[in-house]
Amino acid sequence: MASRTQLLILSLGRRFSQQVKGSVLAVQDYVLLTVRGLAALVTPPRYQRELVTQMDSIGVQSLSIVVLTGMFTGMVLALQSAASLDAFGARPYVGRLVCISMVRELGPVLTALMVTGRVGSGMAAELGSMVVTQQIDALRVLGSDPVRKLVAPRLGAALIMVPLLTVISDTVGIFGGSLISIFNLKLSWEFYWRSVGNAMVINDLVMGFLKPLVFGLILSSVGCYMGLNTSGGTQGVGLSTTRSVVVASVTILSSDFFITKLLLILFPVV
Amino acid sequence: MRETIRAILGLTPRPAPAPPEPPPGPQDPDEPVISFRDVHLSFDRPILQGVSFDLAPGTTKVILGGSGSGKTTILRLILGLLKPDAGSIHVDGADVGHMVEEDLRPVRLKLGMVFQEGALFDSLTVGENVGYRLVEDGNVSEADIEARVREMLGFVGLETFYGRMPSELSGGQRRRVAFARALVARPQIMLYDEPTTGLDPITSTTITDLIVKVRDLDGVTSILVTHQLRDAFNVARTFMARENGQFLPKVVEDLSTLEGTEFMMLRQGVVEFKGTPHELKTSEDPYLREFLS
Repeated sequence: MASRTQLLILSLGRRFSQQVKGSVLAVQDYVLLTVRGLAALVTPPRYQRELVTQMDSIGVQSLSIVVLTGMFTGMVLALQSAASLDAFGARPYVGRLVCISMVRELGPVLTALMVTGRVGSGMAAELGSMVVTQQIDALRVLGSDPVRKLVAPRLGAALIMVPLLTVISDTVGIFGGSLISIFNLKLSWEFYWRSVGNAMVINDLVMGFLKPLVFGLILSSVGCYMGLNTSGGTQGVGLSTTRSVVVASVTILSSDFFITKLLLILFPVV
Repeated sequence: MRETIRAILGLTPRPAPAPPEPPPGPQDPDEPVISFRDVHLSFDRPILQGVSFDLAPGTTKVILGGSGSGKTTILRLILGLLKPDAGSIHVDGADVGHMVEEDLRPVRLKLGMVFQEGALFDSLTVGENVGYRLVEDGNVSEADIEARVREMLGFVGLETFYGRMPSELSGGQRRRVAFARALVARPQIMLYDEPTTGLDPITSTTITDLIVKVRDLDGVTSILVTHQLRDAFNVARTFMARENGQFLPKVVEDLSTLEGTEFMMLRQGVVEFKGTPHELKTSEDPYLREFLS
């Protein structure tokens, strides 16, 4: 009886250690892929055409969802904050609150999540399909480095386009807040925008630009990693797609906390 | 599980460094262009166990075997897409089993590969697919690339398909485009991975005729991996003969007179048989008899 328990414990221990080893190896592969992708961005040969194609896919084609998300977030933020600020007679500060919330948090995070859902999953699906149909093998046989050809342009495009989309989302969100403030909360246009202008400090801009850079890197590298890690045919492609969205979203949200914490230490709010 | 990504990153397990050997120089014409010596490979289970064979220049090796017997793995090892756990693999004198990804490029330039389903790039046109390797080389003019691509598409009978997308092609047409893509850089060795699987008999014959054409007209050394016995014997017994100024496929009925083609049968990663088509056909081995029946 004792030996059976020992065997069970041994088996569980072995399985656990395999899981841990697998996870460590996965993190190692992910980091290596990302580093190689970033290095390929700055060393020749570069695939400019692929970079432009990816910038179009990640940036231009995501514009509509980012604008809609930003606009409605700003409008909801104005409505919600007004309800709370009214309790203190602080309705005139709606513009300040909408601006800080959009630039520091909601703009970068929501944009990154929307782009992850639209583009990160697409990257995983596209690269996953290439793996299962042997197109990645064909690339290697025909003399291309898949990291240079496929990963680097996606990382580069995300690093350029996610911050740009975030700026657009922030702007549209603050504009959406102004519409609610003027037509619903009966604040003056001038007062709202002056409040926005007064609220914005250099720390906000640093935070607002740094976060989307990191988020862009996360969503593209996770999408590429999951895609290239696909196995098991079309079912595997579906699984990689789902995983890429889940892992990238959770990583974006958790890294948001640590970036915020770090930036608040480096650039304290006065 | 992580085979592709680890291979791309060069993280596939590698055996101990190979003993130093002289750099590949001009090859002896009688020296094998591909040589396997006691190659072992395992993933979750043994895939190849002690596989050894040689491939002489200008000859054809047909690798037969059931699903999961390790046929395709041999091609992937030759291309350097996988590394063996033990043993050595030489391609035209280069030890591909011990080379890093960057050094494999010149070896791969000597090889042409036709993948099982074609593995055409979905986002590129047929013309771009065929000319891909020449574009990647970077030292061929656009006009020369287009001329070569059109020549290759003409060779496989798809000259009017230049601007079409792979999604518009049938299974047989995809294989023929893959054929043209593999041949565009004039490789010395052609590798065919189940090129006729899933095709009707007429289209299969078109593909096997192409294999014969490349072998007989260009003198290309080839390895054909298949489980289709009919196609394997078609390749072995067909040759191109000149008739009224045209090259046409002719069939040799007497298997015992065939030269230049060797059959190799794999069974669960082990070489079960090596010999001529005639020796295979007349073998008394129960497994071979069952496979041939």
